[in-house]
Amino acid sequence: MSAFHFEGLVWHWPIAIYLFLAGLSAGAVFFAIMLKHFKLSHEAWHSPFVQAAAIIAPVAVFGGLGILVFDLTRPLDFWKILVFYNTSSVMSMGVLVLMAYQLVLFAWIACVFQRRITQLLGNRLPVANRLLSWLVKQEAAITGILVILAISLGAYTGFLLSALIGFPLLNNPVLPLLFLISGLSSGAAATLLGGVLLRGNPNGVEVRFIHGIEIPLILVEIGLLFTFFAGLILSGGQSQVAALNALGFGFWGWIFWAGVIGIGLTLPLAFNLWMKVSADRKFAYVAVTASFSLIGVFLLRNFILYTGQMTGI
Amino acid sequence: MQVSKRQFLKGVGALLAGVSVYGATRTPQADSLLQPEQESEIKYAMVHDENACIGCNACVQACREVNHIPEGVTRVKIERKGPFGEYPDQSYRFSRVSCQHCEAAPCVRVCPTGAAYIDKETGIVAVNSDRCVGCQYCIAACPYQVRYIHPETRTADKCDFCQKSRLAQGLQPACVEACPTKALTFGNLKDPESDLVKLLKRKPSYRAKVDLGTRPKLFHIQTIDGEIML
Ligand code: SF4
Ligand code: SF4
Ligand code: SF4
Repeated sequence: MSAFHFEGLVWHWPIAIYLFLAGLSAGAVFFAIMLKHFKLSHEAWHSPFVQAAAIIAPVAVFGGLGILVFDLTRPLDFWKILVFYNTSSVMSMGVLVLMAYQLVLFAWIACVFQRRITQLLGNRLPVANRLLSWLVKQEAAITGILVILAISLGAYTGFLLSALIGFPLLNNPVLPLLFLISGLSSGAAATLLGGVLLRGNPNGVEVRFIHGIEIPLILVEIGLLFTFFAGLILSGGQSQVAALNALGFGFWGWIFWAGVIGIGLTLPLAFNLWMKVSADRKFAYVAVTASFSLIGVFLLRNFILYTGQMTGI
Repeated sequence: MQVSKRQFLKGVGALLAGVSVYGATRTPQADSLLQPEQESEIKYAMVHDENACIGCNACVQACREVNHIPEGVTRVKIERKGPFGEYPDQSYRFSRVSCQHCEAAPCVRVCPTGAAYIDKETGIVAVNSDRCVGCQYCIAACPYQVRYIHPETRTADKCDFCQKSRLAQGLQPACVEACPTKALTFGNLKDPESDLVKLLKRKPSYRAKVDLGTRPKLFHIQTIDGEIML
């Protein structure tokens, strides 16, 4: 059986990219909100890291949606998913969440960058200014809802796969949680990477704050991966076969051990722990650690999607 | 803080209200899933007698012609296992792979547009191709791997018990008619006088992957020839 082509394969790598981007967007927003709430408050719009998140989140979610639409066999009929819907379908509910998420995301970005936008607009569009100041008054509500939507979006990609009852590796209750947590950490990594690329201070309060959350996040992710596979193996039968196949010596086994566990989790964790004790963070350090995390999460999405579909019962 | 908390609650309230208004416009076809036991006089099912089947593929051909199924895809396959035993006493096992018309159909549950649905009148699992966007979620969700994208319509397709082609004219499905050994029996599960029910009462049958809870309506009568398989 080849790694990328086999019987029963329905969803290919574009879907893995979509899953990756949706989680990334949700994660970036989540960390931008945390940064604003706990560290920066009214100065948030100055921060290259918040700016990076404000760019990454919409771009990622648009890109992801674009891939999703493009991957339909009838892309021009995409609107039907919005008009008709089915309450029992994870995809229907997910698309609903995606739409609401984008709306609230833009509202939040408008709130955060209100001063800058007002400056740019000057007196040219009084309506826009009035709308903006109205939005700013609702900021607490917008932020709260956006947190809920971002978390839903992060978990949704996992639910999307876990609804496939014929595949023991996918039909697994830990999957949505695993996708949520790894999505958050990819969002954190993207925010850091984007931030330093926008000339943010690699030793700044933002980086220290995000790194502070990143260590527990990585530990939780390792724990979830362990639970995920231990659960499959302990339940025996086809689930056990599926898990052991995925983790074995094939192509995907390498991707998992070297890519997901090695590059994606162990190295960033080691760097983070090491940086805790040493003094200054440099650009290269932040950029490399973040890239490793991103690669790891991307490989995890592919690993789950492909090995999952290999193991139909 | 007090104010912002109240604002937040207001926002969540609005969100929930929005969602419930949207609920009123829910696709009616998906309802069949929520009340699977809606009473109707007809519930179609099929039996494949693997003892009678000789693997001639007449069913596959007939289905292709009647339902205009292009090359490269098919609504029904006959899977051959074997040979078992020593020459000249060799035997094969043939089993039918096609839509099982699940009562709790995973394809229907996951379809975002309601294009995959269960016909309330007949229990047939069908596809409304006008609604299908080709997301292929149903194809991934079907544990029997019998759905495919029709190369011409670009929508999901599969066996529909000839709902549109022959049942509408009061005829038996094409594959049933074409079978030279009468290995296929089609009929109404709710009619105790039907050949289908009589056959099911006479011979022990099995259904594939029942442990997934899909409640398939394609019954197999296992061949007594050949290997005992685990
Ligand atoms: S066999 Fe597959 S396509 Fe047919 S009803 Fe069941 S899940 Fe749907
Ligand atoms: S491919 Fe068509 S029938 Fe299948 S789930 Fe998607 S929209 Fe529904
Ligand atoms: S019942 Fe009709 S659609 Fe289904 S396999 Fe037989 S001929 Fe084809």
